[in-house]
Amino acid sequence: MSSVAHPQRTGASNDARLRKRYAAERRFHFAGLFAVGLSALFLVFLLSNMAWKGLGGFTHYEAAMPIDFARSDLMLDPATLKGPDASEVVAGADVEGLLSKSAGAAFGPDAAEMFGAAAQRSVGRQLIRDPGLLGRRAKLWLPVGSKVDVAAKQGGDGAIQQLVHQLRAKNALRRTVNIDFLTESDATDPSAVGIWGALKGTFLTIMVTMLLAFPIGVLSAVYLEEFARRNRWTDAIEVSINNLAAVPSIIFGLLGLAVFLNFMDLPRSAPLVGGLTLALMTMPVIVIAGRNAITSVPPSIRDAALGVGASKMQVVFHHVLPLALPGILTGTIIGMARALGETAPLLMIGMRAFIAAPPSGLTNPATVLPVQIFLWSDEVDRGFVEKTSAAIIVLLLFMLLMNGLAIYLRNRFEQRW
Amino acid sequence: MKEKMPLNATTPMPMPSAAIAAEATRAGPSTTEANDLPPEPQVALPDEGPAPTPEPEPGRTPKMRAQGVSVFYGDKQALKDVSIDIHEDRVTAFIGPSGCGKSTFLRTLNRMNDTIPSAKVTGHIELDGEDINSADMDVVQLRARVGMVFQKPNPFPKSIFENVAYGPRIHGLGNSKAELEQIVEKSLKRAGLWEEVKDRLGESGISLSGGQQQRLCIARAIAVDPEVILMDEPCSALDPIATAKIEELIHELRGRYAIAIVTHNMQQAARVSQRTAFFHLGEMIESGKTSEIFTNPTQKRTQDYITGRYG
Repeated sequence: MSSVAHPQRTGASNDARLRKRYAAERRFHFAGLFAVGLSALFLVFLLSNMAWKGLGGFTHYEAAMPIDFARSDLMLDPATLKGPDASEVVAGADVEGLLSKSAGAAFGPDAAEMFGAAAQRSVGRQLIRDPGLLGRRAKLWLPVGSKVDVAAKQGGDGAIQQLVHQLRAKNALRRTVNIDFLTESDATDPSAVGIWGALKGTFLTIMVTMLLAFPIGVLSAVYLEEFARRNRWTDAIEVSINNLAAVPSIIFGLLGLAVFLNFMDLPRSAPLVGGLTLALMTMPVIVIAGRNAITSVPPSIRDAALGVGASKMQVVFHHVLPLALPGILTGTIIGMARALGETAPLLMIGMRAFIAAPPSGLTNPATVLPVQIFLWSDEVDRGFVEKTSAAIIVLLLFMLLMNGLAIYLRNRFEQRW
Repeated sequence: MKEKMPLNATTPMPMPSAAIAAEATRAGPSTTEANDLPPEPQVALPDEGPAPTPEPEPGRTPKMRAQGVSVFYGDKQALKDVSIDIHEDRVTAFIGPSGCGKSTFLRTLNRMNDTIPSAKVTGHIELDGEDINSADMDVVQLRARVGMVFQKPNPFPKSIFENVAYGPRIHGLGNSKAELEQIVEKSLKRAGLWEEVKDRLGESGISLSGGQQQRLCIARAIAVDPEVILMDEPCSALDPIATAKIEELIHELRGRYAIAIVTHNMQQAARVSQRTAFFHLGEMIESGKTSEIFTNPTQKRTQDYITGRYG
C-alpha cells in the first residue's frame, strides 16, 4: 500500500555518484597534504639554508702571531694598564701598526693587513690581563681579519689564499668559537662585529612594548566587551581598532616620528620610542584577540557568578578574565612576534643608525636585531654575509624563546582545569 | 489537613492529568503537613479574572511579592502584568509552555534581567516589604539574598571547594580558612553532595556528573545563606535518577528557604511544589495551591495545558 517513492540507492547512477564523492574526498586529502608538505619544505629550506650559512658566523679563525712587545714602539707603561682607564690607554696606543709590522715580518709583505679591529681588541685585552707581556716577546692567538677569515672558510683569490696555505702549513691557523660575536656590538670591520648591542636593544624595546601594549590592550578589550554600552561611539571605536590592526607598519613609524620625536621631543633611536611605536602597532591586535577571547567565555559562567552575588567587576576579574587569558595570550604572542620582527617603523624613528655600543638605558641610542640584519645585509664586505645569517639565527632563537615562554605561561593558566 | 480532592472516577479528566493530580495529592499530605501554613483558606479560590491578583493570606506576609510586573525586550512585551506571592517554607512552581515568560519572570525576582541591555522591567517587586528595584537596594546584596540555580549546571571551572567557597568569600561570610571549610562542608551536606565529594574537594567542579554538578550549584547557592532560592528548570538537563535526587533535595530545603522553581515538567511541579502558577503567552493565567491547580483549575487554558491539549 505504500506508494512513497524512495530515492534509488543502487544501480549505475548511484555507483557513479559514490565514486565521484570518494574521488572528491581523495582530491581534497591530497591537496591538503600537498599544502602542508610544501610549507614544511619551505620551512626546512629556510632553516637549513640559514643554519648552513650562519653557523660559520659563530666561529672565526685565529692565527698564531709572534709579537716582540719589548722592541715595539707602543710606548705603554705597565703601571697604567692596571688602572680603571686601561682600555682607553690601550686604545690610544698604535696596536694596529705593531700588528701590521709583526705580521709582515712573520709571514711576508702580503700578510701586513691580515689583522683587523678584532685582533687589535684582542691584543688590548691580553695586555690588560697580563701587563708583563710588554717586556717580552710572545706568541698570541689573534682573530684574523675578515678577508683572511672568508678565504679560510670559503676560499679566496691569489695572494690571500696563499697566505692561508702558508699559515696552515706552519700550523698557525685554528678555528674557534667567536664569543665576541655574542658580546660585542656593531662595528665597521666585519671581523669585529657582535650582536649584543642589537640584542639588548631588542630586549629593551620589546619590554617597553609588552609593558604598554599588554595591559592597555587587555583592559581596553575588557572595557569594550564587558562594560561599555553599545552605541555609536563604541561602534566607531571598534571599527577604528579593526582598521588600526590592518594599517601598514611603516605608517606607525611615521606616526611615531611625528608624535614621539617631533612633538614630544623624545630622543631619537631610543628603545623607549621604538617600544612606544611598536606598542601602538601591537595594541589593536591584542584588543581584537582579547575581545574574541572574552566573548567566547560561556555566558553561563557570568550568570553563575552574578547569581551568587558577585559584582560586575568581580565577575570579570575572578571568572571571565582567567578563562579568557589563554586566548588573550595567544593573541599577544602573535602581536609580539610581529613587533619583534618589525623593521620599517623603527627605521623611521632613527633606529637604523650605526651604534657601536650597547644601550645602557631606555633613552640611549640603540638598534634592534631585525634592523641590524637589514643593515648588515646591505654591506658590501663579504665578511658580513655570514654575520647576517648568524644574526638571523639569533633573532629566530630569541623569537623561539619568547614564544616558548608565552606558550608555557598560557599552558600553565589552562592547566588550572 | 486532608486532601480535598480525592481522585474521583467520575471526574471527566484524561489520563495524564489524572496521574499528575494523583502525584499532587499524594505529595500533599507527606510534605505539607509539617510545614504548610495553618490558615490556608479552605474556601474556593477567589474568582480570578484574566489579570489575577495575589491571593490574600491572612496572618502571613509573603517573602516576595510581585505586583503588576511586565518585562519588555526592546519593543516586545515578554511578560504582561504578573502578580504573584512567594511564601516562605513553600515551593512555588511556575509552569507553562515554552516562551510563556516563566523564566523571564523568575529572573526579575533577583534582577538577573539587568544584564540584558534591551530588557526593561516595570511593576513592583518586593522582598520582605522592600522594593528590590529601588535605588536603595544594592543588586549584589539582593542576589546574595535571592540565590539562583540555572537550567544547565554551570559550576565554575575551579575546584569543588572553590565553587562553594566563592560566594561566602566575596560576601565576607567566612573570614578564616577554617570558617570557609565549615561553610563548604555544611553547604555540601545540605545539598546532599558531601558524601560523594568529601575526599576530592580539590578536583574540578567540571569533573562531576551532570546531576552532581547541579547539586554543586545548589550548594553554591546555599553557601551564601540566601532567603529565597530561584531554580530555573534545574532538572531539564538531567537524567531521571539525578532528577529524583534534586527533587528530594528541594523537599529537604523547603523548610529553610522560600523556593521558586520553573519547570517544564508538570509531574515535577506536582511532586515538588505546594503552590503553582500557570503562565501562558506572557500572562499568568492562574495561581494557587498545587493540588487545586492540577485537579480543579478555574481557567480553561490551565485545564487545556495540564490535560495535554497543548504545551
